[in-house]
Amino acid sequence: MKEWMRVLRNGLSLENPLTVLMIGLCSTLAVSTKLEGAFFMGIGVIFVLVMSNVLIAAVRKFTPDEVRIPIFIVIIASFVTIVDLVMKAYLPSVYSFLGVWIPLIVVNCIVLGRAEAFAYHNTVWLSVADGIGMGLGYTVIIAGLAAFRELFGSGQLQFLGATLVTMPAFYRPPNILLLFPGAFILFGLIIAGSQALNRRIAAKDAAQAASLKEAV
Amino acid sequence: MLRLYMRLGIPVLVVCIVAAAGLGVTYAMTKDKIAAQDREAKAKSLRIVLGRAKSFVELDAKKDAVVYEKATAAAVDVRVDGLFRALDGTGAQVGWGLLVAPRGYGGPISMAVGVDRNGKVTGATIASMNETPGLGTKVITQKDWLPRFSGLDTSAGTESVRKIDTIMGATKSSRGVRKGVGAAAAIYTDVLKSLEGGSGQ
Repeated sequence: MKEWMRVLRNGLSLENPLTVLMIGLCSTLAVSTKLEGAFFMGIGVIFVLVMSNVLIAAVRKFTPDEVRIPIFIVIIASFVTIVDLVMKAYLPSVYSFLGVWIPLIVVNCIVLGRAEAFAYHNTVWLSVADGIGMGLGYTVIIAGLAAFRELFGSGQLQFLGATLVTMPAFYRPPNILLLFPGAFILFGLIIAGSQALNRRIAAKDAAQAASLKEAV
Repeated sequence: MLRLYMRLGIPVLVVCIVAAAGLGVTYAMTKDKIAAQDREAKAKSLRIVLGRAKSFVELDAKKDAVVYEKATAAAVDVRVDGLFRALDGTGAQVGWGLLVAPRGYGGPISMAVGVDRNGKVTGATIASMNETPGLGTKVITQKDWLPRFSGLDTSAGTESVRKIDTIMGATKSSRGVRKGVGAAAAIYTDVLKSLEGGSGQ
């Protein structure tokens, strides 16, 4: 269980796919203009990541090394298609906002990257933790970035048709926040912040390991 | 050699079969809901441009293939997504609803245009687009711009929209929208007008 929690935490902090591994960035910059869209993009990625991690870990013993990539891709593409169909049927407004980014989850570096780097070499149970951790790590960053860009870039924050926050009338939203340069600048700040946080976590881990050694 | 093919091929084959089965089930479960959402989305934008109509009947893609063919030719490089007869409560035709998708700056702009039986544009609306936030999106956020198309005479076809100015800072996007209405006008004057219920009272 301890190992499970460690894997889960790594996805969120020390090995966060966006701020540390820096993979899956194109969708992050593109769909983080609206909280609602970014949130459901995150949910879609979590679903695909967990399900494909589980399946790939489950069949890893029967997967010949030479053809593992086509097998990964078929599994991942199937789950993405499920997300695509379900979202189209039940969340049409979110679906039309996300557009091509839903099918593009198939080639999202995080999903294939975790299949190759983690699920293929680990148990099903640990792969679940990795899927949830990485998925949440992605969702937290993208939703946070989107909330900031939407609130300060458009002057109000909406979710599923409800307006959560509106900026006072004198506030003139700077356009740059909704454009790509704004996303780059904000994302750079997020990386800096999470690096500082990760350094603390790593230092705490090291101190813990040292005291454990002493006790032995 | 054959054994090698089997060893590599069979796992891939099995995965594909299982995936196909899973997708088949998901598709069957969501098919009707997706079709309903699609119809609802189309009807919603058509109601905006032709509020007088109570129902919209789409021209059948197979039965009216010739109409669609001619419409596509009239629209030149604007995509035609659907042609609808607009009917009032009694079933009498009050005009036409057209779904067109001209190219904007960030890809196609899906829009609906309504034309009444006198050949006047009753309205134009944008269902979905991918224009630059804050710049191209002015075609929607500049509230007095889209209504300018209402009442436009379609008799000059694609040239009908000439007198509507584009928006500064959203030149490509507003030119796209203008082209969409122009294409709708051309489809009406070249094709729909001569169809039954197309013009005159």
